Amino acid sequence: MQLTTGLTHWIRAHQPSLRKIAGIVAAASVCVAGGVYATNYSLWINGRNNNNAAQGNHADFTYWGPASANAGVNKKSVNWDGYSHVSDQNYRIRDALDCYCTGTNWCYVAAHSAGDLQIGYAMSLFGGTARSVKNATPNAGGVCSNTDGSTQTGWNIKWVDVAAGAGGGSELANLGSWAVADPLTGDLKTATARALYDHNQTRAKWFYMFAGAQGAIQSGLMPGQDDQAVAYHSAGGVSGSGGAGYCNPSDWFCNDLTLGSGTNEGGSAKWAYHSVSFRDDAQALNHYTNGAWGGVVSKVRADMETYAK
Amino acid sequence: MKLGKTALLGAAAALLALAGWQWWSDARATANAQLGITQGSSLYGSTSPTPSAEKAANAGKDGAGSNAPFSTQGLQQRQAQQALWQRRYERAEQSFAAYKDATRYPPESRPLAEHPDQIRPFSPISEQTQARDAQGQAVKFMLRTSQERVFLSGADTVKFSIEALDEKGTLLPVAVTSARAQSLAESRTLTTTIGANLDFADDGAGADEVAGDAKYTARLNPAQQGFAQYRGTIRLLATVKANGQEAVAHFDVVYTPGSPATWLGMREAFEAGSLNFYARANVLQAGRYVVSARVDDAHGKPFALLQYNEEVAAGVREFKLHIIGVLVRDKNPAFPLHVRDIEGFLLLPDQHPDRVLMPRLSGVVHTSAKYNVANFSSDEWQSDERQRYLDEYSKDVELARLQVQKLQTAQP
Repeated sequence: MQLTTGLTHWIRAHQPSLRKIAGIVAAASVCVAGGVYATNYSLWINGRNNNNAAQGNHADFTYWGPASANAGVNKKSVNWDGYSHVSDQNYRIRDALDCYCTGTNWCYVAAHSAGDLQIGYAMSLFGGTARSVKNATPNAGGVCSNTDGSTQTGWNIKWVDVAAGAGGGSELANLGSWAVADPLTGDLKTATARALYDHNQTRAKWFYMFAGAQGAIQSGLMPGQDDQAVAYHSAGGVSGSGGAGYCNPSDWFCNDLTLGSGTNEGGSAKWAYHSVSFRDDAQALNHYTNGAWGGVVSKVRADMETYAK
Repeated sequence: MKLGKTALLGAAAALLALAGWQWWSDARATANAQLGITQGSSLYGSTSPTPSAEKAANAGKDGAGSNAPFSTQGLQQRQAQQALWQRRYERAEQSFAAYKDATRYPPESRPLAEHPDQIRPFSPISEQTQARDAQGQAVKFMLRTSQERVFLSGADTVKFSIEALDEKGTLLPVAVTSARAQSLAESRTLTTTIGANLDFADDGAGADEVAGDAKYTARLNPAQQGFAQYRGTIRLLATVKANGQEAVAHFDVVYTPGSPATWLGMREAFEAGSLNFYARANVLQAGRYVVSARVDDAHGKPFALLQYNEEVAAGVREFKLHIIGVLVRDKNPAFPLHVRDIEGFLLLPDQHPDRVLMPRLSGVVHTSAKYNVANFSSDEWQSDERQRYLDEYSKDVELARLQVQKLQTAQP
C-alpha cells in the first residue's frame, strides 16, 4: 500500500518527464514499425510445391524447416504458391521485396529451385522500376503500407544465394514427369525457363549458386550431374540452351561445372553476375529440403547464417 | 573435353603431371581469389570458420573455465572469430568492388559480351535429349530438336525441327508419323481445347529448307490454325519413329493474340557525350514496354546490348536506347555502328501469358553515323540507385574491417 502511494507520488512528480519519455517511446515505435531505422532482412523464396504454407505469411517456414533455424538476420519466408506460373505469382515476391528491401532497409535473398526463376524474373523485368518505400510491416496477405509516399528505383538487395536453382529449367519438366497439368511445370521446361527473361540482367547484383549432385534416382533423365530434380546446367547458372551436361571434376567424360563466375570446361559461359559457390563433388546433397533445411538448401542456410548479417 | 584431358594426362610422366596439377591449382587459386573462392568444391571450405565459432568466442567473453579468453581454447575461439570476420570482410569488399566496377555503365547500356545468350536472340533454340516413348521410357536414339521461339503474338509463326541421332551423334533416318498442337488446359474449370495437326516434312518445301537431310520440319501459324483468340501455352506433341522405335517430341510455345505496337523507324542523336537511338513506334496499348537491341561495330563485332523498360502511353512514342559514352570510350568500337535484332513486348504483370510481342526486327535495322570516340564522355554512370548501393556496400566493408581490426588488436 505504502509502495503504491509512493509510486503514485513519484508518477505525479515526474509526469511531464514521463510524458516526454512516453512520447519518445511512441515515436521510436513508429520509427521502427515504419522502417525508418536501417534494418537488414533475409528473404527466403521457395520453389515448387508449397501447399502447406500460408501464402503471403512471411513468418511461415513450413516449406523450409523449423522456423527456429538460424537462416540469416531477420529471416522472412516469402511463400508464393509453388504451383502457378511464375508471372502469375511474382507479385508475392515483389510485395516482399517492397516490404523489406526499400528505404533504409536492405535484404539478402535466398532462393530454392523455382524460387530462382521468381527472383530472377523480378530483378530482370521489375528491378529498374519505381518502387514505393514500404514500412516492413505486412498485412495477412504479405503487403506492406507506404511510409511517406516516396519512391526509389529498384530494391535494396545485397546479393542472392540460390540452392538448386531452376532458372535454366529442368529436363523433368520437359518430360512432364512432375505433373502435366501443373502451370509451373510449363515454365520449368528448359526452353521456356531460359526465354522467360534476360537472366544476365541482375542490375549487377551477384547470384551465388549452390548445386547439389546426389542424383542417383533421376540421373538418367538429366544431362550431367543433377540433384534429382535440377541438373548442373541450371543449378550452376550456365548460359545457353538446356540439355548440356556438366559434371564434377572426378567425371572424366563430361565437362566440369567450374567454381566461380568463369567459363566452364569446354568454354560455355555462365550468366552474368552468377558465381558457383558450391559444387557437390561428394554427390551428397539432393534437391529436397525434407522440411529440415535439407539437401543443398543446407549449404545456403549455412551461408546465410554466416554472411547475412 | 575430358577425353582430351585424359589423353594428355595419360601421356605425361607422373612427376610432370604432379607439377602440372600444382600449377593448375595455383592458377585456379589466383583466379578464384578475386571472388573469394577457396579451393575445393565450395566457396567455404571445410576449414572455414562458421558462426558456431562466433558463438563459442562470444561465450568465452564470460571468462569462465576453459573458455576464458587467455586460455588455449579461448585463444582458438578468438582466432576462429577473427577468421570469420575476415571472410565477412572479404565478401563485403568483393560486393563493393564488383558493383562499383560493373556499374560504370547503367543496366540499360551494357557490353553485349556480358549477355552471351542475348547476342543472337532470334537463333532457333536447339536441344538434344534422350528420346522417350509416350510412357517416358528411354528408346534407342537421341532427339535433336529446335524451335524458332517460345513467345509469339498475333501473326507470328514458329518453325520446329526434329532429328534423330544414335549414341555416336550420327543422324538416323527418321519419320514423324503424327504431330498435333493443342491448347494447354491449365484452368480448373472445363474449357474447350483447341487443336491443329501439323505435317512435319523433309521435302525441301515450305518450312523445310533441305530435302532429304533427315531433318523434319513444320511451321505453326496460330492465328491461321484456330488459335487466333487463344491466350496461353500451345503444346506440340510429335510422334517420331527411328531405329524401329517410337518416341514423343515435346514443344511448348506461349501465344497471345494481337500486337500492342508497331515499329515506325529509328533515329539517332549524340547527346551529352552519349549516343542515343530512338526507336519510334505507334503504341496501340499503353503499359510497360520491354525492348532490347544489339549493336555491332563496323566489323560486325558484338559491342553493346541496349535495353528499355518503361511505362509508355498510347500514341506515337519513342523508345530511347542509350549507349553511355564511357562504354564507347572503353570498348572503342569501329564506327559506324549497326543496330540489329530488336525485340519488344508489352509486359502484362501478374498474368499468364505475361507479354504481347511487337513484331521482331531481324537483322540490321539502323546504321549510325561515324563519330570520333574522343568526343564521347568518359563519365561513369551516376544515379541515386548506384550511390545508394555504393554507400551501403562501403558501410558493410567498413563495419567488417573495424570488426577484424578490433579482434586483431584484442589478441593477448
